[in-house]
Amino acid sequence: MKNRRSSDIPVDSFSDIAFLLIIYFMVATTLVKVKSVTADLPAGEKSTQAKSEKTPIINLRGGEIFFSDKPVKMDELNERLAALDLPNQDGEKRVIMLEAAKGTPYQNYFQVLASISANGGVVAIVEDE
Amino acid sequence: MKRSKKKKRKTIPIPVASMGDIAFLLIIFFLVCSESIKDKSNLPVELPTSEYVKKPDISVIAYVVIDENGELYFDGQRVDSAKDIEWGVRALLTNSVSDDQRHVQLKCDKSQSKEVFQPVLQAIAEAGGIIEAVGETEQ
Repeated sequence: MKNRRSSDIPVDSFSDIAFLLIIYFMVATTLVKVKSVTADLPAGEKSTQAKSEKTPIINLRGGEIFFSDKPVKMDELNERLAALDLPNQDGEKRVIMLEAAKGTPYQNYFQVLASISANGGVVAIVEDE
Repeated sequence: MKRSKKKKRKTIPIPVASMGDIAFLLIIFFLVCSESIKDKSNLPVELPTSEYVKKPDISVIAYVVIDENGELYFDGQRVDSAKDIEWGVRALLTNSVSDDQRHVQLKCDKSQSKEVFQPVLQAIAEAGGIIEAVGETEQ
């Protein structure tokens, strides 16, 4: 008569496998965090009032950046924004207006947005008329 | 009173039989609780770069993507206009009021022009969301 082999499923290593899976999930979940910049744009009613003379305005025209109508490079813009000491200003004095001409690529816009954010400014988008 | 008898040491066996069950329950817990990737990471998006990007210590309530073709996605679903995003964010923010619960992640292709991304930025701001613009560190 043929000997019957025991057909038990080996369950001893199940817990090891399960714990390895847990470790995998825990590590993988932490790794997917993306890098970003925070921009809290003011919401509410659209203001049609004329811009205040004192509010700094940044214009983006294609690849060029203008800070209060003067052409600047990215480094200079950082210096100008740092000089404003925005984190220690209150309320409206922290507002930086940002205007972009048609066709401005997101790369340029993002860099300026990141710079304003890093320097403690609050961005207000200027819309086209 | 001093005990005269020496205490017998008992060997206490740790029950290992149920370890596997516990582990699998933990896996199921992590699977259910961890956030599924709603932003459809496989979409064609080339991220912009900046030296100021950092890993934020917050959780986002919604994911907005503008891919290289200028198509808009809200939580992985294709939407037609920025207005749909505004309503979507508005709906999510009705019950949450604290600043920590207002973050909306925005992934936009770096080649997109102002006509495409600015309405989306305004839509998120109008709905009361704080924009988390995703980018990469400048090399």
